[in-house]
Amino acid sequence: MQKTFVRGVAVAFVALAALAAGFYFSAGVQRDPPAAGLLGLALPDTEGREQRLDQWPGKVLVVNFWATWCEPCRDEMPEFVKAQAASGARGLQFVGIAIDQPDKVRQFSQDLKLNYPSLVGGYGALELSKALGNKVMALPFTVIIDREGRVAYAQMGPLKPGKLDSIVGKML
Amino acid sequence: MGWLTGLVAAVLYAGPMPAVAADPQLLPPEQAFRFSARALSDRTLEARFAIADGYYLYRDKFRFAVLPEGVVLGAPELPPGKIKTDEFFGKVETYRGTVVVKLPLSAVAGQTVVLAADSQGCADVGVCYPPTRQKLTLALPAPGAGPGALVEAAPPKKNWFQ
Repeated sequence: MQKTFVRGVAVAFVALAALAAGFYFSAGVQRDPPAAGLLGLALPDTEGREQRLDQWPGKVLVVNFWATWCEPCRDEMPEFVKAQAASGARGLQFVGIAIDQPDKVRQFSQDLKLNYPSLVGGYGALELSKALGNKVMALPFTVIIDREGRVAYAQMGPLKPGKLDSIVGKML
Repeated sequence: MGWLTGLVAAVLYAGPMPAVAADPQLLPPEQAFRFSARALSDRTLEARFAIADGYYLYRDKFRFAVLPEGVVLGAPELPPGKIKTDEFFGKVETYRGTVVVKLPLSAVAGQTVVLAADSQGCADVGVCYPPTRQKLTLALPAPGAGPGALVEAAPPKKNWFQ
């Protein structure tokens, strides 16, 4: 009798789980924790070489979605260059994901003397940022991932230098 | 039962969605840059963008296209914008408020055309949107008839899961 009940509960759970899964898939939300989708990504760099986002395990990763056509994005990037130079040795790693054309990204990276990789993503990469909280899919959008690979912070719009220091400082 | 708990946990995991800091309640681009249009005559369309306060569009990012094949769109007549200097792109022009763009076209009068408009802009709070395509359908008036009614681009589909 009890066995039947347990089985009934199990069936109900599976049904509920299947229903929930259906909702998830129909909503286009990832089933994995939010960072997993991002870290599982491989995108070309400005030279066309495929780069995986999971190639910096154990580092504090700052993933910045940007574009050359986005002025507020360009405005905040010199601060990222400074932070990368100052804290790279302590385990801070910036990665840009540009929703842009490779030649423009290459040009801007040179102009700015970018000291961290900027990968080139399409609209699909921007879609991915939606799962991380970028509801309107605007730029810049920055995600900070801790040393264990969990999303520690997400920022829509420019990340003020003080804010970056206060979040990242505790993690380094 | 361990597997079942695991399965349920995995499926029900919504993520702790990371708290997105300083989310300034941004409008989706279709609402920040509301697109509408009308046929002024059988040879001219008028596209309008109603730009919400605190948002702006770039003049050189507009792209227009019409369907069906065979309908030919002329060069859009874009009003002058406000000029500002961009470090990377040089001189750029932006619009605020309402922008009205005239589009000459050659089509058969009485025909129905689909007008697609790409636009790209930003919000003053410091974010930019990727180019956004909006579409609407217009019936062209007969030659000599007055302008057609203003048609709003279809509102984006509701997503109940947000």
